[in-house]
Amino acid sequence: MEFAGKMISLVVLLVVPFVVLGDSCLSPEVKAETYTTTEAIVSTETVFIVQFTLTCKNKVRDMNLYADINGRTLPVTKTDKPDLYQVSISDDHKKLSSGKYEVRLYDEEGYSMLRKAQRSGESVDSVKPVTSITFNHPGVSKGPFVQSEFVAVVIAVLVWYFAYSTRSQLQSSN
Amino acid sequence: MLAARRRKMKLWVLAVLISFAGYSLSEEENVARLLASKNVLNQYLVEGRDLTVQYTIFNIGGSAALDVNLKEESFPEQDFEVVKGNLNVKWERIAPGTNVSHVVVLRPLQFGYFNFTAAEVSYKPSENAASAVVGFTSAPGEGGIVGSKDFDRKFSPHVLDWLVFAIMTLPSLTIPFLLFYRSKSRYDTPKPKKN
Repeated sequence: MEFAGKMISLVVLLVVPFVVLGDSCLSPEVKAETYTTTEAIVSTETVFIVQFTLTCKNKVRDMNLYADINGRTLPVTKTDKPDLYQVSISDDHKKLSSGKYEVRLYDEEGYSMLRKAQRSGESVDSVKPVTSITFNHPGVSKGPFVQSEFVAVVIAVLVWYFAYSTRSQLQSSN
Repeated sequence: MLAARRRKMKLWVLAVLISFAGYSLSEEENVARLLASKNVLNQYLVEGRDLTVQYTIFNIGGSAALDVNLKEESFPEQDFEVVKGNLNVKWERIAPGTNVSHVVVLRPLQFGYFNFTAAEVSYKPSENAASAVVGFTSAPGEGGIVGSKDFDRKFSPHVLDWLVFAIMTLPSLTIPFLLFYRSKSRYDTPKPKKN
């Protein structure tokens, strides 16, 4: 009886930590692919797509994640492939300027702590994310800086000016 | 007698209408209702250049929508290549009064007219709903995908074309100049030296 009691307590001691930690991700590994809009002529808004796979050592699947990009908090979209998630942001070209962006990923618990911190005005850096992804947005190109037709006209005018001034110089010296 | 009956009829109709309105309003409090929109964020649809499709799902109901699935099947594989994003996505729950958005970037492989149709959205309006509600997003309608050659003709900087033009105008400029220079150097008198 004593032995059974000891066995039960041992089993409980071994199992309880995993039950408690069952929801959070242990040693997360993330692999991300990002896409940012590059052409402003064709697209009306700038779009960021961060597609990532997040695997945990304790094999937590299908997690409800939340992402925070530069102050914007939104839920992470799950896909039909396991462990593959996507975060999408779209806005005006001017609002999403070029530079480095950091995506912080929170699980349910982290998200509620983040919301609490935001409401009470505390710094959000105190909440530790599950993991974070950084990417660089090179900016959108609006086409060449100066139109090639403009350059051609300027060169033609310069050539004409050179010829005209030389001609008038010769005529006056004659 | 007749007037009394008519009044009774009117009261009945009014009572039925009020109870129906009250019932439907109270329904809204406990169920989720999703509106989904699909937009193409492109000014020009060009073959071989990125085409951005944005899906936004709003929950206008009174409770959270559960197990929301978005399935996009209207872009055939041989005509559109997925650059980034997933066409089959889901959200566990969308809180009432909030919205979620999803973006997919495609690349058209053919030019011509294409009819952008709706994608399918399914969700459970409440926790103990018997079956999922299936709906559709808005459809952007028909769009013309311009061929890459036509787009380049209009929008690319044509630097090579201008260089070729400049080279072609060189003969008409340099030949007269050379003739002038040759005659000038032949007949130019040297400057008289000061004594």
